[in-house]
Amino acid sequence: MRRQFKDTALRLAEHDDRLTLLFGDISVFLFNEFSELHPDRLLNVGICENTLISMAAGMSATGFHPIVHTIAPFITERSYEQVKLDLCYNHFGCTIVTCGGSFDYAWDGATHHCYTDLELMRMLPGMEVMQPGSKKEFDTLFSQCYNNGNPSYVRIAADEHGLDLPVEFGKGVLVKETEGADLTVVTAGPLLGNVLSACSNLPVNIIYFHTIKPLDRDLLERFAKTRIIVVHDAFGLFEAVNAACSVRSVYHGLPDQFCGYYGTLEDIRSKLRLDTEGIRAVILNELDEIS
Amino acid sequence: MDNISSEIRENILRISYHSGHGHIPTCFSIVEMLRAVYETMQHDPKQPDWAERDIFILSKGHAALGLYCTLAQYGYFPISDVFGLGSFEARFGCHADRFKVPGVELSTGSLGHGIGVGVGMALGFKLSGVSRKVFVLIGDGESNEGTVWEAIMVAVNLGLGNLTILFDNNRSQSRCMPITNPEDKFFSFGCKTLTVDGHDLSAVKEAIDSPVEKGPRVIISNTVKGNGCPTLVRDIFAWHRRSPNTDELKTLLGELHETSI
Repeated sequence: MRRQFKDTALRLAEHDDRLTLLFGDISVFLFNEFSELHPDRLLNVGICENTLISMAAGMSATGFHPIVHTIAPFITERSYEQVKLDLCYNHFGCTIVTCGGSFDYAWDGATHHCYTDLELMRMLPGMEVMQPGSKKEFDTLFSQCYNNGNPSYVRIAADEHGLDLPVEFGKGVLVKETEGADLTVVTAGPLLGNVLSACSNLPVNIIYFHTIKPLDRDLLERFAKTRIIVVHDAFGLFEAVNAACSVRSVYHGLPDQFCGYYGTLEDIRSKLRLDTEGIRAVILNELDEIS
Repeated sequence: MDNISSEIRENILRISYHSGHGHIPTCFSIVEMLRAVYETMQHDPKQPDWAERDIFILSKGHAALGLYCTLAQYGYFPISDVFGLGSFEARFGCHADRFKVPGVELSTGSLGHGIGVGVGMALGFKLSGVSRKVFVLIGDGESNEGTVWEAIMVAVNLGLGNLTILFDNNRSQSRCMPITNPEDKFFSFGCKTLTVDGHDLSAVKEAIDSPVEKGPRVIISNTVKGNGCPTLVRDIFAWHRRSPNTDELKTLLGELHETSI
């Protein structure tokens, strides 16, 4: 998906000399072609996340479309006040594109795990929050939002859900509808792949969101009479669902503790019962409870 | 102190008295710096959004009342507008809102944000090939924040000659972490530095007008918190965020008039 970021930026920059990339010393090699074609429009500023955000606000004030790119925990958690005040309160447009969300950097340990980003960004007034689960979703959502004058957050994932779904900013996708189903599973991002496998042959509905803010409330409301379970490897979606409709919803995701494991994304998802088997067991339990 | 500086300080005192808000000593230390900026930079009070204007950012946002009184002095709005300072639906809050106050370019309040945003603006102007300039006023206390130095490093690395930092060296941190030898510090980071008497309007203006080969430029302005009123100067911490009562207002106005020309 990071390569898609490069391809999308290259395509958009051909026709938009206001698109400017501000990097926190990552992805620089990947963007060599961009740097060669547009040397003034990619600045590898340094390992200084707070200033990256503040600078982006200033560049937005002078008519540019800044894109800040670095690792998720360092820009969302360390620089939260800069995002809150310089971008959101002052309403300067900027797109923050991160990698390393949730457990994509599993092997680097808890300092590099980032499961709060989506919720932190969601809580800020005026912020748009996206978690694409495929290259196509990244390309479409980024292209639709990067120059709309609003602060936006887009998380690049290490894996993909593997489906070709319709993409429109702010719209959820009904991936599976079972007539008469009493349970609706809600998820976002690449985890949809596991969710879909886990729910194979089960009488449930599956709703998928790539846009967490604004959340597609209309789609959610259609299933408000069913029991809703949010399955997600981060915070943010469950809170968004609960804020959107007064339905009974439960969460299967992260515990209230740091993840002390390394390994791979799959290892950690397995430990958290967010692999296909773990999710299926949880869904079966939910179906038992409501039957 | 000339009549204009005295009038700005008198308005600060009167509005603080009426509203019960405002950080008077820190406003008093920057009056001449604010005047120097508004008397040298490209701006038009009748067109606050003029596309060719230079930019001023008050990074030490708690001195907003000083900025309001200066903007009023230079014609952005009548001073009478400011008297409702801090009331529920007021345009003029204790920290400025750029969507409410003409001439305010950045809503500030939390310290350590102004230089970073100024760096982005200066870079934007540089990339656009325009000659617009950016001025950021920061405090010495504010410079306890790491973001000040992070943003300075970026500004130096980008060689932003169109960025000027005005450093209000009013010794506000004497009771905790003073910024000692600020000129040495900024110089060692690679800035062009000048030190002036921050209450000497001509000296600050001259520093702003001095040529810059490679920026950013930092003007260390030696100032006094509460300058103009010995009562304030004697006890800057007690007066940090305090409004005068009727008797105190009389005393402070008397002192101010004694120090004015």
